[in-house]
Amino acid sequence: MGRYKKVWIGLVFFLITGWGLVSETVAGSRVQIVGSTTVLPVASRSAQKFMASSKVRILVNAGGSGVGIHSVAQGRADIGMASRGISPDEKKRFKKSRLKTHSVGLDAVACVVSTEIYQAGVRHLTPTQIAGIYMGKIRNWKEVGGPDRQIVVIDKERHRGTRHAFMQYVFGNATQRTPGTLLVTGSNNEEQAKIAQSDSAIGMLSFAWINEDVKAVSLGSKGKEFLPTWEAVRQGRYPIVRKLNFVTAGEPEGEVKAFIDFVKGSEGQKIVAESGYIPVDDEIFQP
Amino acid sequence: MKVARGNDFRSGLSGIRSLDPAGWVFAAMNLVFLVCAVGLGGFLLVESVPVVRSEGLGFWLGENWWVGETFGALSMICGSLIVTGLAVSLVLPVALSGALFTSEYLAPSLRRRVKGVMELLAGVPGIIYGLLGVSFLTVGIKDVLNLLDGNTLFTAGCLLAIMILPTVLTLAEDALHSVPAEFREAAQGLGLTKLQTAWRVVLPQSLPGIAGAVLLGVGRAMGETIAVMLVIGSLDKVPGFNIFVAGQTIPSKLGREAAQALGSEQHWSALMGLGLTLFLMVAAFTFLGNIFIKRSSR
Repeated sequence: MGRYKKVWIGLVFFLITGWGLVSETVAGSRVQIVGSTTVLPVASRSAQKFMASSKVRILVNAGGSGVGIHSVAQGRADIGMASRGISPDEKKRFKKSRLKTHSVGLDAVACVVSTEIYQAGVRHLTPTQIAGIYMGKIRNWKEVGGPDRQIVVIDKERHRGTRHAFMQYVFGNATQRTPGTLLVTGSNNEEQAKIAQSDSAIGMLSFAWINEDVKAVSLGSKGKEFLPTWEAVRQGRYPIVRKLNFVTAGEPEGEVKAFIDFVKGSEGQKIVAESGYIPVDDEIFQP
Repeated sequence: MKVARGNDFRSGLSGIRSLDPAGWVFAAMNLVFLVCAVGLGGFLLVESVPVVRSEGLGFWLGENWWVGETFGALSMICGSLIVTGLAVSLVLPVALSGALFTSEYLAPSLRRRVKGVMELLAGVPGIIYGLLGVSFLTVGIKDVLNLLDGNTLFTAGCLLAIMILPTVLTLAEDALHSVPAEFREAAQGLGLTKLQTAWRVVLPQSLPGIAGAVLLGVGRAMGETIAVMLVIGSLDKVPGFNIFVAGQTIPSKLGREAAQALGSEQHWSALMGLGLTLFLMVAAFTFLGNIFIKRSSR
Protein backbone atom coordinates (compact mmCIF):
# COMPACT_ATOMS: atom_id res chain seq x y z
CA MET A 1 0.00 0.00 0.00
CA GLY A 2 2.78 2.38 0.99
CA ARG A 3 4.11 2.53 -2.52
CA TYR A 4 0.82 3.86 -3.83
CA LYS A 5 0.33 6.49 -1.16
CA LYS A 6 1.14 9.30 -3.58
CA VAL A 7 -1.36 8.01 -6.07
CA TRP A 8 -4.14 7.91 -3.49
CA ILE A 9 -3.33 11.38 -2.20
CA GLY A 10 -3.36 12.66 -5.75
CA LEU A 11 -6.69 11.03 -6.44
CA VAL A 12 -8.32 12.48 -3.32
CA PHE A 13 -6.94 15.93 -4.11
CA PHE A 14 -8.26 15.68 -7.65
CA LEU A 15 -11.73 14.73 -6.47
CA ILE A 16 -11.90 17.51 -3.91
CA THR A 17 -10.85 20.20 -6.38
CA GLY A 18 -13.23 18.83 -8.94
CA TRP A 19 -16.14 18.93 -6.51
CA GLY A 20 -15.18 22.41 -5.39
CA LEU A 21 -15.32 23.67 -8.97
CA VAL A 22 -18.66 22.02 -9.63
CA SER A 23 -20.34 23.31 -6.49
CA GLU A 24 -19.02 26.80 -7.10
CA THR A 25 -20.64 27.01 -10.53
CA VAL A 26 -23.91 25.67 -9.17
CA ALA A 27 -23.98 28.08 -6.25
CA GLY A 28 -23.70 31.39 -8.16
CA SER A 29 -27.09 32.46 -9.52
CA ARG A 30 -27.17 32.19 -13.28
CA VAL A 31 -29.63 33.07 -15.98
CA GLN A 32 -29.37 30.98 -19.10
CA ILE A 33 -30.67 32.49 -22.34
CA VAL A 34 -30.86 30.53 -25.60
CA GLY A 35 -32.45 30.96 -29.00
CA SER A 36 -32.96 33.25 -31.98
CA THR A 37 -29.89 34.83 -33.56
CA THR A 38 -32.06 37.82 -34.43
CA VAL A 39 -32.77 38.58 -30.77
CA LEU A 40 -29.26 37.62 -29.67
CA PRO A 41 -27.60 41.05 -30.11
CA VAL A 42 -30.26 42.64 -27.91
CA ALA A 43 -29.93 39.98 -25.23
CA SER A 44 -26.15 39.91 -25.10
CA ARG A 45 -25.73 43.70 -25.06
CA SER A 46 -28.39 44.01 -22.39
CA ALA A 47 -26.78 41.23 -20.39
CA GLN A 48 -23.47 43.07 -20.42
CA LYS A 49 -25.06 46.24 -19.12
CA PHE A 50 -27.19 44.34 -16.60
CA MET A 51 -24.27 42.37 -15.18
CA ALA A 52 -22.30 45.55 -14.59
CA SER A 53 -24.64 46.43 -11.75
CA SER A 54 -25.62 42.98 -10.54
CA LYS A 55 -24.08 39.75 -9.26
CA VAL A 56 -26.20 37.62 -11.53
CA ARG A 57 -24.34 35.84 -14.29
CA ILE A 58 -26.14 35.77 -17.61
CA LEU A 59 -25.16 33.34 -20.35
CA VAL A 60 -26.47 34.01 -23.84
CA ASN A 61 -26.29 31.34 -26.55
CA ALA A 62 -27.50 31.13 -30.15
CA GLY A 63 -29.47 28.27 -31.70
CA GLY A 64 -32.55 29.64 -33.40
CA SER A 65 -36.11 30.37 -32.31
CA GLY A 66 -37.16 26.72 -32.25
CA VAL A 67 -34.23 25.83 -30.03
CA GLY A 68 -35.05 28.75 -27.72
CA ILE A 69 -38.67 27.72 -27.27
CA HIS A 70 -37.85 24.03 -26.82
CA SER A 71 -35.08 24.74 -24.34
CA VAL A 72 -37.18 26.92 -22.08
CA ALA A 73 -40.12 24.51 -22.26
CA GLN A 74 -37.91 21.66 -21.14
CA GLY A 75 -36.17 23.61 -18.41
CA ARG A 76 -32.76 23.77 -20.06
CA ALA A 77 -32.85 27.56 -20.19
CA ASP A 78 -34.47 30.30 -18.14
CA ILE A 79 -35.31 32.55 -21.06
CA GLY A 80 -35.82 31.51 -24.67
CA MET A 81 -35.29 34.06 -27.42
CA ALA A 82 -37.70 33.82 -30.35
CA SER A 83 -38.13 36.03 -33.38
CA ARG A 84 -41.59 34.59 -33.88
CA GLY A 85 -44.57 33.63 -31.76
CA ILE A 86 -45.06 30.17 -30.34
CA SER A 87 -46.48 27.98 -33.10
CA PRO A 88 -49.76 26.11 -32.54
CA ASP A 89 -47.84 22.87 -32.68
CA GLU A 90 -45.43 23.99 -29.98
CA LYS A 91 -48.31 25.32 -27.88
CA LYS A 92 -49.90 21.90 -27.95
CA ARG A 93 -46.72 20.03 -27.18
CA PHE A 94 -45.57 22.24 -24.33
CA LYS A 95 -48.96 22.89 -22.74
CA LYS A 96 -47.64 21.91 -19.34
CA SER A 97 -44.84 24.47 -19.42
CA ARG A 98 -47.31 27.39 -19.61
CA LEU A 99 -45.06 29.28 -22.00
CA LYS A 100 -45.33 33.04 -21.84
CA THR A 101 -43.98 35.51 -24.38
CA HIS A 102 -42.63 38.95 -23.53
CA SER A 103 -42.13 41.26 -26.51
CA VAL A 104 -38.97 43.28 -26.30
CA GLY A 105 -38.90 44.82 -29.76
CA LEU A 106 -40.03 44.77 -33.36
CA ASP A 107 -38.20 43.67 -36.45
CA ALA A 108 -38.89 43.38 -40.16
CA VAL A 109 -37.77 40.63 -42.53
CA ALA A 110 -36.46 41.51 -45.94
CA CYS A 111 -36.16 39.52 -49.12
CA VAL A 112 -32.50 40.00 -50.00
CA VAL A 113 -30.43 39.35 -53.11
CA SER A 114 -26.73 39.46 -53.92
CA THR A 115 -25.42 42.93 -54.76
CA GLU A 116 -24.64 41.92 -58.35
CA ILE A 117 -28.28 41.01 -58.93
CA TYR A 118 -29.51 44.18 -57.28
CA GLN A 119 -27.25 46.30 -59.45
CA ALA A 120 -28.32 44.39 -62.55
CA GLY A 121 -31.81 45.72 -62.00
CA VAL A 122 -33.74 43.37 -59.70
CA ARG A 123 -35.20 45.90 -57.24
CA HIS A 124 -38.69 44.56 -56.76
CA LEU A 125 -40.23 41.10 -56.37
CA THR A 126 -43.86 40.12 -55.94
CA PRO A 127 -44.87 37.32 -53.56
CA THR A 128 -45.83 35.25 -56.62
CA GLN A 129 -42.36 35.65 -58.08
CA ILE A 130 -40.68 34.75 -54.80
CA ALA A 131 -42.99 31.75 -54.43
CA GLY A 132 -42.09 30.66 -57.96
CA ILE A 133 -38.41 30.91 -57.16
CA TYR A 134 -38.70 28.91 -53.93
CA MET A 135 -40.92 26.27 -55.54
CA GLY A 136 -38.37 25.75 -58.33
CA LYS A 137 -40.60 27.11 -61.12
CA ILE A 138 -38.49 30.18 -61.76
CA ARG A 139 -34.84 29.20 -62.06
CA ASN A 140 -33.22 32.09 -63.89
CA TRP A 141 -32.94 35.75 -62.88
CA LYS A 142 -33.87 36.60 -66.47
CA GLU A 143 -37.48 35.64 -65.71
CA VAL A 144 -37.84 38.34 -63.06
CA GLY A 145 -36.01 41.10 -64.88
CA GLY A 146 -32.44 40.27 -63.98
CA PRO A 147 -29.38 39.00 -65.83
CA ASP A 148 -29.25 35.61 -67.55
CA ARG A 149 -27.94 33.69 -64.57
CA GLN A 150 -29.26 30.76 -62.57
CA ILE A 151 -30.72 31.59 -59.16
CA VAL A 152 -29.02 30.31 -56.01
CA VAL A 153 -32.05 29.81 -53.78
CA ILE A 154 -31.07 30.01 -50.12
CA ASP A 155 -33.47 28.73 -47.49
CA LYS A 156 -33.22 28.55 -43.70
CA GLU A 157 -33.66 25.68 -41.25
CA ARG A 158 -37.33 25.03 -40.77
CA HIS A 159 -37.67 26.05 -37.14
CA ARG A 160 -36.08 29.50 -37.65
CA GLY A 161 -38.22 32.53 -36.79
CA THR A 162 -37.11 34.55 -39.81
CA ARG A 163 -38.22 31.72 -42.08
CA HIS A 164 -41.63 31.50 -40.40
CA ALA A 165 -42.28 35.21 -40.96
CA PHE A 166 -41.01 35.15 -44.54
CA MET A 167 -42.86 32.01 -45.62
CA GLN A 168 -46.03 33.23 -43.95
CA TYR A 169 -45.91 36.31 -46.20
CA VAL A 170 -44.94 34.48 -49.39
CA PHE A 171 -47.05 31.33 -49.11
CA GLY A 172 -49.43 32.03 -46.26
CA ASN A 173 -47.90 28.99 -44.58
CA ALA A 174 -45.05 29.37 -42.09
CA THR A 175 -43.72 25.85 -42.58
CA GLN A 176 -44.01 25.66 -46.37
CA ARG A 177 -41.77 23.10 -48.10
CA THR A 178 -39.64 24.59 -50.84
CA PRO A 179 -38.33 22.13 -53.45
CA GLY A 180 -36.48 24.89 -55.32
CA THR A 181 -33.97 25.34 -52.50
CA LEU A 182 -30.29 24.93 -53.33
CA LEU A 183 -28.74 25.72 -49.95
CA VAL A 184 -29.95 25.64 -46.36
CA THR A 185 -28.45 27.92 -43.73
CA GLY A 186 -28.95 28.43 -40.02
CA SER A 187 -28.17 31.70 -38.29
CA ASN A 188 -28.56 35.21 -39.73
CA ASN A 189 -24.78 35.47 -39.93
CA GLU A 190 -24.48 32.27 -41.92
CA GLU A 191 -27.20 33.25 -44.36
CA GLN A 192 -25.73 36.73 -44.77
CA ALA A 193 -22.28 35.28 -45.49
CA LYS A 194 -23.57 32.75 -48.05
CA ILE A 195 -25.56 35.40 -49.91
CA ALA A 196 -22.60 37.77 -49.91
CA GLN A 197 -20.27 35.04 -51.21
CA SER A 198 -22.59 34.25 -54.09
CA ASP A 199 -23.26 36.57 -57.00
CA SER A 200 -26.75 35.34 -57.83
CA ALA A 201 -28.41 34.41 -54.56
CA ILE A 202 -31.79 35.14 -53.01
CA GLY A 203 -32.58 34.75 -49.34
CA MET A 204 -34.33 36.14 -46.29
CA LEU A 205 -32.78 38.29 -43.58
CA SER A 206 -33.75 40.42 -40.66
CA PHE A 207 -33.41 44.15 -41.48
CA ALA A 208 -30.53 44.49 -39.01
CA TRP A 209 -28.32 42.19 -41.12
CA ILE A 210 -28.61 44.08 -44.39
CA ASN A 211 -25.36 45.73 -45.58
CA GLU A 212 -23.44 46.61 -48.74
CA ASP A 213 -23.03 42.95 -49.75
CA VAL A 214 -26.66 41.92 -49.34
CA LYS A 215 -29.37 44.18 -50.72
CA ALA A 216 -33.07 44.16 -49.85
CA VAL A 217 -35.62 44.35 -52.65
CA SER A 218 -39.01 45.98 -52.32
CA LEU A 219 -42.06 43.76 -52.00
CA GLY A 220 -45.72 43.98 -52.89
CA SER A 221 -47.91 43.40 -55.91
CA LYS A 222 -50.61 44.99 -58.07
CA GLY A 223 -49.00 48.36 -58.33
CA LYS A 224 -48.31 48.59 -54.60
CA GLU A 225 -44.70 48.71 -53.64
CA PHE A 226 -43.35 48.34 -50.13
CA LEU A 227 -39.84 49.70 -49.81
CA PRO A 228 -37.62 47.84 -47.36
CA THR A 229 -37.00 50.85 -45.13
CA TRP A 230 -37.58 51.49 -41.45
CA GLU A 231 -39.73 54.42 -42.42
CA ALA A 232 -42.14 52.13 -44.25
CA VAL A 233 -42.15 49.77 -41.29
CA ARG A 234 -42.95 52.58 -38.88
CA GLN A 235 -45.81 53.76 -41.05
CA GLY A 236 -47.23 50.25 -41.16
CA ARG A 237 -46.62 49.94 -44.87
CA TYR A 238 -44.16 47.04 -44.84
CA PRO A 239 -45.70 43.55 -44.94
CA ILE A 240 -43.29 41.33 -42.99
CA VAL A 241 -43.07 42.65 -39.44
CA ARG A 242 -42.70 40.44 -36.41
CA LYS A 243 -42.24 40.76 -32.69
CA LEU A 244 -39.00 39.84 -31.01
CA ASN A 245 -39.81 37.83 -27.93
CA PHE A 246 -38.40 36.50 -24.72
CA VAL A 247 -40.14 33.27 -23.72
CA THR A 248 -40.43 31.99 -20.16
CA ALA A 249 -42.10 28.96 -18.65
CA GLY A 250 -44.80 30.48 -16.45
CA GLU A 251 -44.53 33.94 -14.91
CA PRO A 252 -40.90 35.04 -14.60
CA GLU A 253 -39.51 35.43 -11.09
CA GLY A 254 -36.43 36.80 -9.38
CA GLU A 255 -33.41 37.50 -11.55
CA VAL A 256 -35.21 36.38 -14.71
CA LYS A 257 -37.97 38.91 -14.11
CA ALA A 258 -35.42 41.58 -13.23
CA PHE A 259 -33.58 41.01 -16.52
CA ILE A 260 -36.73 41.00 -18.67
CA ASP A 261 -37.88 44.21 -16.96
CA PHE A 262 -34.47 45.71 -17.63
CA VAL A 263 -34.72 44.96 -21.36
CA LYS A 264 -38.29 46.28 -21.49
CA GLY A 265 -37.25 49.38 -19.56
CA SER A 266 -35.79 52.56 -21.00
CA GLU A 267 -32.16 51.41 -20.92
CA GLY A 268 -32.98 48.09 -22.55
CA GLN A 269 -35.15 49.68 -25.21
CA LYS A 270 -32.27 52.00 -26.09
CA ILE A 271 -30.19 48.88 -26.71
CA VAL A 272 -32.99 47.46 -28.88
CA ALA A 273 -32.83 50.59 -31.03
CA GLU A 274 -29.01 50.50 -31.15
CA SER A 275 -29.16 46.88 -32.32
CA GLY A 276 -31.13 47.97 -35.36
CA TYR A 277 -34.68 47.15 -34.24
CA ILE A 278 -37.75 49.14 -33.19
CA PRO A 279 -38.48 49.49 -29.46
CA VAL A 280 -41.84 48.05 -28.36
CA ASP A 281 -43.19 51.33 -27.10
CA ASP A 282 -42.36 53.20 -30.29
CA GLU A 283 -45.11 55.81 -30.52
CA ILE A 284 -45.48 55.91 -34.26
CA PHE A 285 -45.71 52.21 -34.93
CA GLN A 286 -48.54 50.13 -33.55
CA PRO A 287 -49.22 46.92 -35.49
CA MET B 1 -11.39 -24.92 -32.15
CA LYS B 2 -13.80 -24.07 -29.40
CA VAL B 3 -11.65 -25.74 -26.75
CA ALA B 4 -8.64 -23.91 -27.95
CA ARG B 5 -10.48 -20.63 -27.67
CA GLY B 6 -11.63 -21.43 -24.14
CA ASN B 7 -8.08 -22.14 -23.16
CA ASP B 8 -7.03 -18.94 -24.78
CA PHE B 9 -9.58 -17.03 -22.79
CA ARG B 10 -8.60 -18.67 -19.52
CA SER B 11 -4.93 -18.16 -20.07
CA GLY B 12 -5.69 -14.61 -21.10
CA LEU B 13 -7.34 -13.95 -17.77
CA SER B 14 -4.90 -16.00 -15.70
CA GLY B 15 -2.83 -12.89 -15.12
CA ILE B 16 -5.63 -11.50 -12.97
CA ARG B 17 -4.86 -13.74 -10.00
CA SER B 18 -1.46 -12.26 -9.50
CA LEU B 19 -2.44 -8.61 -9.94
CA ASP B 20 -0.91 -5.95 -7.72
CA PRO B 21 -2.87 -2.74 -6.92
CA ALA B 22 -1.62 -0.93 -10.01
CA GLY B 23 -2.76 -3.89 -12.08
CA TRP B 24 -6.23 -3.56 -10.62
CA VAL B 25 -6.33 0.10 -11.59
CA PHE B 26 -5.39 -0.84 -15.13
CA ALA B 27 -8.04 -3.55 -15.17
CA ALA B 28 -10.64 -1.09 -13.92
CA MET B 29 -9.69 1.38 -16.66
CA ASN B 30 -10.04 -1.38 -19.20
CA LEU B 31 -13.51 -2.03 -17.84
CA VAL B 32 -14.35 1.68 -18.19
CA PHE B 33 -13.47 1.50 -21.86
CA LEU B 34 -15.52 -1.65 -22.32
CA VAL B 35 -18.55 -0.12 -20.60
CA CYS B 36 -18.23 3.01 -22.76
CA ALA B 37 -18.08 1.09 -26.01
CA VAL B 38 -20.92 -1.29 -25.22
CA GLY B 39 -22.93 1.43 -23.48
CA LEU B 40 -22.69 3.76 -26.48
CA GLY B 41 -23.87 1.12 -28.92
CA GLY B 42 -26.64 0.01 -26.59
CA PHE B 43 -27.77 3.58 -25.95
CA LEU B 44 -28.00 4.39 -29.67
CA LEU B 45 -29.85 1.15 -30.29
CA VAL B 46 -32.41 1.71 -27.54
CA GLU B 47 -32.94 5.38 -28.37
CA SER B 48 -33.52 4.72 -32.05
CA VAL B 49 -36.19 2.07 -31.46
CA PRO B 50 -39.19 4.48 -31.71
CA VAL B 51 -38.21 5.87 -35.10
CA VAL B 52 -37.40 2.48 -36.58
CA ARG B 53 -40.66 1.14 -35.23
CA SER B 54 -42.69 3.89 -36.89
CA GLU B 55 -40.68 4.19 -40.12
CA GLY B 56 -39.43 0.64 -40.57
CA LEU B 57 -36.93 0.21 -43.38
CA GLY B 58 -38.19 3.51 -44.72
CA PHE B 59 -35.91 5.17 -42.24
CA TRP B 60 -32.90 4.11 -44.31
CA LEU B 61 -34.58 4.11 -47.71
CA GLY B 62 -36.81 7.18 -47.43
CA GLU B 63 -35.76 10.42 -49.08
CA ASN B 64 -37.88 12.85 -47.11
CA TRP B 65 -36.81 14.19 -43.75
CA TRP B 66 -39.74 16.28 -42.58
CA VAL B 67 -39.63 16.90 -38.88
CA GLY B 68 -42.94 16.05 -37.28
CA GLU B 69 -44.08 13.92 -40.21
CA THR B 70 -41.61 11.47 -41.65
CA PHE B 71 -37.94 10.67 -41.27
CA GLY B 72 -35.96 9.21 -44.17
CA ALA B 73 -32.19 9.21 -43.94
CA LEU B 74 -31.23 8.19 -47.45
CA SER B 75 -29.93 11.60 -48.50
CA MET B 76 -27.62 11.79 -45.48
CA ILE B 77 -26.37 8.23 -45.90
CA CYS B 78 -25.59 8.89 -49.57
CA GLY B 79 -23.98 12.20 -48.66
CA SER B 80 -21.75 10.59 -46.05
CA LEU B 81 -20.65 7.82 -48.43
CA ILE B 82 -19.96 10.20 -51.31
CA VAL B 83 -18.04 12.72 -49.24
CA THR B 84 -15.96 10.07 -47.50
CA GLY B 85 -15.29 8.18 -50.71
CA LEU B 86 -14.24 11.38 -52.40
CA ALA B 87 -11.95 12.35 -49.54
CA VAL B 88 -10.26 8.95 -49.46
CA SER B 89 -9.75 8.74 -53.21
CA LEU B 90 -8.28 12.24 -53.24
CA VAL B 91 -6.05 11.53 -50.26
CA LEU B 92 -4.70 8.10 -51.21
CA PRO B 93 -2.32 9.01 -54.05
CA VAL B 94 -1.00 12.08 -52.23
CA ALA B 95 -0.60 10.35 -48.89
CA LEU B 96 1.04 7.24 -50.35
CA SER B 97 3.58 9.05 -52.46
CA GLY B 98 4.28 11.50 -49.67
CA ALA B 99 4.77 8.69 -47.19
CA LEU B 100 7.03 6.75 -49.57
CA PHE B 101 9.16 9.81 -50.19
CA THR B 102 9.42 10.71 -46.51
CA SER B 103 10.25 7.20 -45.43
CA GLU B 104 12.54 6.02 -48.23
CA TYR B 105 14.19 9.10 -49.67
CA LEU B 106 14.47 11.75 -46.98
CA ALA B 107 17.54 12.00 -44.76
CA PRO B 108 16.74 10.98 -41.15
CA SER B 109 17.09 14.49 -39.72
CA LEU B 110 14.77 16.00 -42.33
CA ARG B 111 12.35 13.12 -41.93
CA ARG B 112 11.99 13.87 -38.23
CA ARG B 113 11.11 17.47 -38.98
CA VAL B 114 8.60 16.57 -41.65
CA LYS B 115 7.01 14.09 -39.27
CA GLY B 116 6.79 16.72 -36.59
CA VAL B 117 4.90 19.06 -38.90
CA MET B 118 2.56 16.29 -40.02
CA GLU B 119 1.73 15.29 -36.47
CA LEU B 120 1.14 18.91 -35.57
CA LEU B 121 -1.28 19.28 -38.49
CA ALA B 122 -3.04 16.03 -37.61
CA GLY B 123 -4.03 17.57 -34.29
CA VAL B 124 -5.63 20.73 -35.73
CA PRO B 125 -9.33 20.70 -34.81
CA GLY B 126 -12.04 20.45 -37.45
CA ILE B 127 -13.43 23.93 -36.87
CA ILE B 128 -10.18 25.50 -38.08
CA TYR B 129 -10.40 23.58 -41.34
CA GLY B 130 -14.07 24.49 -41.52
CA LEU B 131 -13.41 28.21 -41.21
CA LEU B 132 -10.66 28.09 -43.82
CA GLY B 133 -12.98 26.05 -46.03
CA VAL B 134 -15.88 28.45 -45.76
CA SER B 135 -13.74 31.51 -46.41
CA PHE B 136 -11.44 30.22 -49.17
CA LEU B 137 -12.34 26.77 -50.48
CA THR B 138 -16.02 27.39 -51.27
CA VAL B 139 -15.26 30.61 -53.13
CA GLY B 140 -12.20 29.14 -54.84
CA ILE B 141 -13.96 26.02 -56.06
CA LYS B 142 -16.88 28.07 -57.31
CA ASP B 143 -14.60 30.33 -59.35
CA VAL B 144 -12.22 27.66 -60.65
CA LEU B 145 -14.89 25.17 -61.69
CA ASN B 146 -17.33 27.90 -62.67
CA LEU B 147 -20.10 26.46 -60.51
CA LEU B 148 -23.37 28.04 -59.52
CA ASP B 149 -22.36 27.89 -55.88
CA GLY B 150 -19.37 26.64 -53.92
CA ASN B 151 -21.17 24.86 -51.10
CA THR B 152 -21.19 21.35 -52.52
CA LEU B 153 -20.49 17.71 -51.73
CA PHE B 154 -17.30 18.09 -53.76
CA THR B 155 -16.13 20.98 -51.56
CA ALA B 156 -16.79 18.94 -48.43
CA GLY B 157 -14.86 16.00 -49.91
CA CYS B 158 -11.88 18.23 -50.75
CA LEU B 159 -11.91 19.80 -47.31
CA LEU B 160 -12.02 16.40 -45.63
CA ALA B 161 -9.19 15.20 -47.86
CA ILE B 162 -7.04 18.11 -46.70
CA MET B 163 -8.10 17.41 -43.14
CA ILE B 164 -7.27 13.70 -43.04
CA LEU B 165 -4.13 13.98 -45.17
CA PRO B 166 -1.70 14.55 -42.25
CA THR B 167 -3.18 11.66 -40.25
CA VAL B 168 -3.07 9.20 -43.13
CA LEU B 169 0.34 10.42 -44.24
CA THR B 170 2.05 10.13 -40.90
CA LEU B 171 0.53 6.74 -40.06
CA ALA B 172 1.30 5.33 -43.49
CA GLU B 173 4.83 6.64 -43.15
CA ASP B 174 5.14 4.87 -39.79
CA ALA B 175 4.06 1.64 -41.44
CA LEU B 176 6.58 2.03 -44.27
CA HIS B 177 9.37 3.00 -41.94
CA SER B 178 8.81 0.02 -39.66
CA VAL B 179 9.73 -2.41 -42.44
CA PRO B 180 13.08 -3.86 -41.24
CA ALA B 181 16.20 -2.55 -42.97
CA GLU B 182 17.22 -6.09 -43.94
CA PHE B 183 14.49 -6.16 -46.58
CA ARG B 184 15.88 -3.07 -48.24
CA GLU B 185 19.44 -4.32 -48.02
CA ALA B 186 18.49 -7.68 -49.47
CA ALA B 187 16.59 -6.02 -52.30
CA GLN B 188 19.44 -3.72 -53.10
CA GLY B 189 21.80 -6.70 -52.92
CA LEU B 190 19.70 -8.29 -55.65
CA GLY B 191 20.26 -5.22 -57.79
CA LEU B 192 16.90 -3.49 -57.44
CA THR B 193 16.88 0.29 -57.75
CA LYS B 194 15.65 2.44 -54.91
CA LEU B 195 12.30 2.97 -56.60
CA GLN B 196 11.87 -0.75 -57.22
CA THR B 197 12.74 -1.48 -53.61
CA ALA B 198 10.22 1.00 -52.31
CA TRP B 199 7.48 -0.05 -54.69
CA ARG B 200 7.95 -3.83 -54.82
CA VAL B 201 9.38 -4.64 -51.40
CA VAL B 202 8.64 -2.00 -48.77
CA LEU B 203 5.12 -1.09 -49.89
CA PRO B 204 3.68 -4.64 -49.97
CA GLN B 205 5.28 -5.40 -46.62
CA SER B 206 3.61 -2.44 -44.96
CA LEU B 207 0.20 -2.79 -46.59
CA PRO B 208 -1.65 -3.77 -43.38
CA GLY B 209 -0.30 -0.69 -41.61
CA ILE B 210 -1.26 1.54 -44.52
CA ALA B 211 -4.75 0.06 -44.60
CA GLY B 212 -5.02 0.85 -40.90
CA ALA B 213 -3.96 4.44 -41.58
CA VAL B 214 -6.59 4.82 -44.29
CA LEU B 215 -9.25 3.32 -42.02
CA LEU B 216 -8.48 5.85 -39.33
CA GLY B 217 -8.77 8.56 -41.97
CA VAL B 218 -12.13 7.17 -43.09
CA GLY B 219 -13.32 7.21 -39.50
CA ARG B 220 -12.33 10.83 -39.04
CA ALA B 221 -13.82 11.88 -42.36
CA MET B 222 -17.11 10.13 -41.68
CA GLY B 223 -17.47 11.60 -38.24
CA GLU B 224 -16.41 15.17 -38.98
CA THR B 225 -19.24 17.52 -38.14
CA ILE B 226 -18.50 21.20 -38.05
CA ALA B 227 -16.09 21.49 -40.98
CA VAL B 228 -18.53 19.66 -43.24
CA MET B 229 -21.52 21.57 -41.91
CA LEU B 230 -19.97 24.88 -42.91
CA VAL B 231 -19.30 24.00 -46.57
CA ILE B 232 -21.76 21.31 -47.65
CA GLY B 233 -24.90 23.42 -48.05
CA SER B 234 -27.03 21.31 -45.69
CA LEU B 235 -29.63 20.38 -48.26
CA ASP B 236 -31.48 17.10 -47.62
CA LYS B 237 -31.60 15.79 -51.14
CA VAL B 238 -30.40 12.49 -52.59
CA PRO B 239 -27.58 13.74 -54.80
CA GLY B 240 -27.58 11.16 -57.60
CA PHE B 241 -24.38 11.25 -59.64
CA ASN B 242 -23.81 14.97 -59.52
CA ILE B 243 -21.34 15.80 -56.76
CA PHE B 244 -21.35 19.52 -57.56
CA VAL B 245 -24.57 20.21 -55.68
CA ALA B 246 -25.30 20.86 -52.02
CA GLY B 247 -25.95 17.83 -49.83
CA GLN B 248 -25.95 16.62 -46.28
CA THR B 249 -23.95 14.11 -44.27
CA ILE B 250 -25.08 12.29 -41.16
CA PRO B 251 -22.90 14.31 -38.77
CA SER B 252 -23.79 17.64 -40.39
CA LYS B 253 -27.48 16.80 -40.00
CA LEU B 254 -26.90 15.88 -36.36
CA GLY B 255 -25.03 19.12 -35.82
CA ARG B 256 -27.83 21.18 -37.36
CA GLU B 257 -30.73 19.61 -35.51
CA ALA B 258 -29.45 18.23 -32.21
CA ALA B 259 -30.21 21.33 -30.14
CA GLN B 260 -33.71 21.57 -31.56
CA ALA B 261 -34.50 17.90 -31.03
CA LEU B 262 -33.32 17.60 -27.43
CA GLY B 263 -36.18 16.22 -25.39
CA SER B 264 -38.63 15.81 -28.25
CA GLU B 265 -39.41 12.15 -28.64
CA GLN B 266 -39.63 11.21 -32.30
CA HIS B 267 -37.21 13.79 -33.67
CA TRP B 268 -34.61 12.87 -31.07
CA SER B 269 -35.08 9.21 -31.80
CA ALA B 270 -34.59 9.91 -35.51
CA LEU B 271 -31.29 11.67 -34.79
CA MET B 272 -30.19 8.76 -32.60
CA GLY B 273 -31.13 6.48 -35.47
CA LEU B 274 -28.80 8.53 -37.67
CA GLY B 275 -26.09 8.15 -35.04
CA LEU B 276 -26.60 4.40 -34.98
CA THR B 277 -26.40 4.28 -38.76
CA LEU B 278 -23.11 6.15 -38.71
CA PHE B 279 -21.81 3.88 -35.96
CA LEU B 280 -22.69 0.80 -38.03
CA MET B 281 -21.18 2.29 -41.18
CA VAL B 282 -17.86 2.98 -39.47
CA ALA B 283 -17.97 -0.49 -37.89
CA ALA B 284 -18.61 -2.07 -41.27
CA PHE B 285 -15.70 -0.20 -42.82
CA THR B 286 -13.38 -1.24 -40.00
CA PHE B 287 -14.53 -4.83 -40.34
CA LEU B 288 -13.96 -4.88 -44.09
CA GLY B 289 -10.63 -3.18 -43.61
CA ASN B 290 -9.56 -5.82 -41.12
CA ILE B 291 -10.47 -8.58 -43.53
CA PHE B 292 -8.41 -6.84 -46.17
CA ILE B 293 -5.48 -6.52 -43.78
CA LYS B 294 -5.64 -10.21 -42.90
CA ARG B 295 -5.85 -11.21 -46.55
CA SER B 296 -2.96 -9.09 -47.63
CA SER B 297 -0.71 -10.08 -44.72
CA ARG B 298 -1.05 -13.74 -45.56
